[in-house]
Amino acid sequence: MDRRSFFKVVGTASGGAMTGACGKQAQEIIPLLVPEEEIVPGVEAWHPSVCQECGAGCGTIARLMASEREIEVEGELVRQRIASIKKLEGNPLDPVSGGRLCARGHAALQSLYNPDRLQGPMKRVGSRGEGRFEPVSWETAIGEVGDALAATVNSDPSKVLFLTQSRATLRTANIARFLNSLGAPAPSGIGVGDFAAETEASRRAYGWNGIPVYEIQDSTLLLSIGADFLSGWVSPVLYSRRYGHMRQGRRELRGRLIHAESRFSLTAWNADRWLPVWPGGELALALGIGHVLVTEKLAPALAEAPQELVSAYAETDLEAASSDSGIPVAAIQEVAADLASASAPLVLAGASMVRRNSADAVTAACALNLLLGNLGKAGGVIAPSVSGTRLESTRPSSAGWVERLAQAAVVFVDRVNPAYSSPSSRDALSGAGTVISFSSFLDDTSLFADWILPDHDPLEGTALSVPDASPVPAVTAAAAFAAPLYDSRPTETLLAALAGAAGKPFETLEVDASLVQLHAELDSGAGEADADSFVAESLRQGGWSGERLVHKSAQASQLGAFRPEGKQDPLVFQAYASLQFGEGSGANRPWLQELPDPASSAMWGIPVELDPGTAEKLGVRNGDIVQVESEYGSLQGPVYVNPAGIPGVVSMALGPGHENYGRYASGRGANPMKVVGDIRDRKTGASALGPTRVIVSRTKGTGRLIQFSREDRVAAPHRV
Amino acid sequence: MAEGKRNPEEDGSEHVPQWAMAIDLDRCTGCEACVVACSAENNVPTAGQEQAAMGRAKHWIRIDRYYEGEFPNIKVKYRPVLCQHCDNAPCEPVCPVYATYQNAEGLNVQIYNRCIGTRYCANNCPYTVRFFDWFAPEWDGPLDLQLNPDVSIRPAGVVEKCTFCAHRIKRAKLDADAEDRDLADGDVQPACVQSCPAEAMVFGDMSDSHSKVSKKIESGRSEQLLSELGTKPRVYYLRKAD
Repeated sequence: MDRRSFFKVVGTASGGAMTGACGKQAQEIIPLLVPEEEIVPGVEAWHPSVCQECGAGCGTIARLMASEREIEVEGELVRQRIASIKKLEGNPLDPVSGGRLCARGHAALQSLYNPDRLQGPMKRVGSRGEGRFEPVSWETAIGEVGDALAATVNSDPSKVLFLTQSRATLRTANIARFLNSLGAPAPSGIGVGDFAAETEASRRAYGWNGIPVYEIQDSTLLLSIGADFLSGWVSPVLYSRRYGHMRQGRRELRGRLIHAESRFSLTAWNADRWLPVWPGGELALALGIGHVLVTEKLAPALAEAPQELVSAYAETDLEAASSDSGIPVAAIQEVAADLASASAPLVLAGASMVRRNSADAVTAACALNLLLGNLGKAGGVIAPSVSGTRLESTRPSSAGWVERLAQAAVVFVDRVNPAYSSPSSRDALSGAGTVISFSSFLDDTSLFADWILPDHDPLEGTALSVPDASPVPAVTAAAAFAAPLYDSRPTETLLAALAGAAGKPFETLEVDASLVQLHAELDSGAGEADADSFVAESLRQGGWSGERLVHKSAQASQLGAFRPEGKQDPLVFQAYASLQFGEGSGANRPWLQELPDPASSAMWGIPVELDPGTAEKLGVRNGDIVQVESEYGSLQGPVYVNPAGIPGVVSMALGPGHENYGRYASGRGANPMKVVGDIRDRKTGASALGPTRVIVSRTKGTGRLIQFSREDRVAAPHRV
Repeated sequence: MAEGKRNPEEDGSEHVPQWAMAIDLDRCTGCEACVVACSAENNVPTAGQEQAAMGRAKHWIRIDRYYEGEFPNIKVKYRPVLCQHCDNAPCEPVCPVYATYQNAEGLNVQIYNRCIGTRYCANNCPYTVRFFDWFAPEWDGPLDLQLNPDVSIRPAGVVEKCTFCAHRIKRAKLDADAEDRDLADGDVQPACVQSCPAEAMVFGDMSDSHSKVSKKIESGRSEQLLSELGTKPRVYYLRKAD
């Protein structure tokens, strides 16, 4: 009798689609030699869900089918029949995804089924950073953490620090309620992707609250400055859909794209003209273009533009702007003239790579739309939609978290990884009072935790999210539909238990109740539906979206002074959030590790990108190991000589260099943030990704740069 | 033929669709959503670092990118490349066991159970879209829970490649039959097409002059990859407009 014969089917774990299960795995597979008529694909059920890989908040649908897994019950290996998710796709009813999904969205499945997921609560038994933990019961964990929390709350609640993502979700709202009940400060949203510069610029230039929405699909000339909007910026699926329409969605009208960025990103690939701006020179470029529009009286809405802004542009020294940005004066003048002559010009501004001056840079670029009269019109820029849930106001800010971490007595870490994104925080984490992580993985930060209390995977829990950018007021919502694989607990429920244990109870706001609130807010906007029907329909469809609103133009407020940054001497280093790994969290998904990097075609590792001239000076070729050293730290990694690298600029994607993040990511490459150090945007405090001055040197080593395609250029044809 | 279904063929025979794909390079951003969507849909295993280093990573669809010019006047030309399902496929006549052939609907079909792994087909494919399975695939549990039961897992020793999501075609036919109607344009969407954020890819019946794919092919920007080889691909690329 073989091992398989001992297995027992122990029943159903979920109320999902459970028909058509097969007894043996081999029978689940349909050989293609079987005549087509005999193939009956398994019965499936599709459930709406919310992608939480980034803040875009795409509505998705999950394909649920019968599966089996092996588990151990009382020492015996048994087979358990469960409903598993086979595929994620975009939800066609969702105004953001429109039924489409990006690479990272697909790979969210490999977080759910990741073999390195933690299977229950754990308590540290070794020293911090050592990684030795032992399983504990939830009751023990809640009791002991509750006691530690109570002690801090009763003495000084300001010493409770909660680090989480900067998103507008029901989760962050509940975290805020939790902290409020404790009398502790609001949560801190940390990491790359909080779009603090964009939010600040929106307030200063337009007087709006939130990230503006760009109507690029109706523009005839799009100038994007600093925003890699086709790859990872704000809402890549929404803007890719709109980009497709701008190019080929209109009869006889093809929109042009001019893109300014310090890297030949995916958006630069697609541009008709790429302006290779020097890192940190985005502000100078925006001011230079504004200067030409103002002084040559090219701006169509010059008369309506705020005088403060017109003066700021007029006073800009065009030669200095050119020098600081690295863009020739003639090119700046051409771009300004192109904008002035286009029938529907639009400037899209962002900071895919946050700098010390990003809030100023994005503001100066956003304000170009004031000169062009672009606010609130087709092909222009519209104010962020207000969902009606009031969740937007709960988006955590990043300001001051580093300083607070040094003083904290209790630190909660939720879906962020400060030990990776801000390596210098390791010392503070080592010295913090009690550190509680809700991570599903033993990641870089969990190593420093006293308690790891694993959350459900996002695909196992409920969700309510306000998208970072939506063409209409919208929320995406998901009810739980897949049974948790392990002994995890939803963090929001756990927070209520911890608050109760600390003697400061609060009530968690559930998705249903939140939708009832939204129904009440909407009044007539919800149609004739009563609250119960509205909730049921919202959960059935995966969310709610309203009518497109017509936004009146807003007023610039507190534009403030701009501080251009002089060009630093080469070499400078910049890190960037990559298409596949985002800010680094995607690195433990094997699909994404084996996805060829767009620039270098690298797999299972991220190279240091050098321009051809620098590589020649150093005498290095693809795969040679270089050392990159800054005042903050150093790293070694294989070189990729990027044919489109800006001379003197060294780039590297986030994702490699996790010291601990499961079998697919741990110990793979070097963390670029070690070189960047803890530098920040002066106005918002957001984490900056460079530029940082570095010294690059050749080492004796040659590592492996694994590329799917080693050819960067088409080889010359063979002549016979 | 069931009631309610049309019969477009004059001789009374059932209409046999001719599947084709059009990829608009002016919409395509190179974002690789199609690459991961394909792996998820078709149980394409990851090779892992060691095997990938030996050139054994499998991507049924990939983004080919080539740089042109020098900084700052540099451009990159890129396009998704998948099995072109050629009408005159170089892979077919070299297979000694007839494991690959073109079916009546124009799909270049690979019968894994018949394949003996000579790799002649992969060697003869000018698009390098055929992949040999050096090892039986493995998934670290519970990653195997994500496997799509509609698609067979390929054993060691065979060649695998894009099927135009043949199982999705089959599913669409079953659904249409159940609803007693003909297949409608857009009923069949391979995983790559379904996923594409920029809506650059269109799939359909090129023998139907009203289908979206036919209109794309007739758009005036259409071209075929390495058409000079006479392979007559079923994948049409719409040139990037300037």
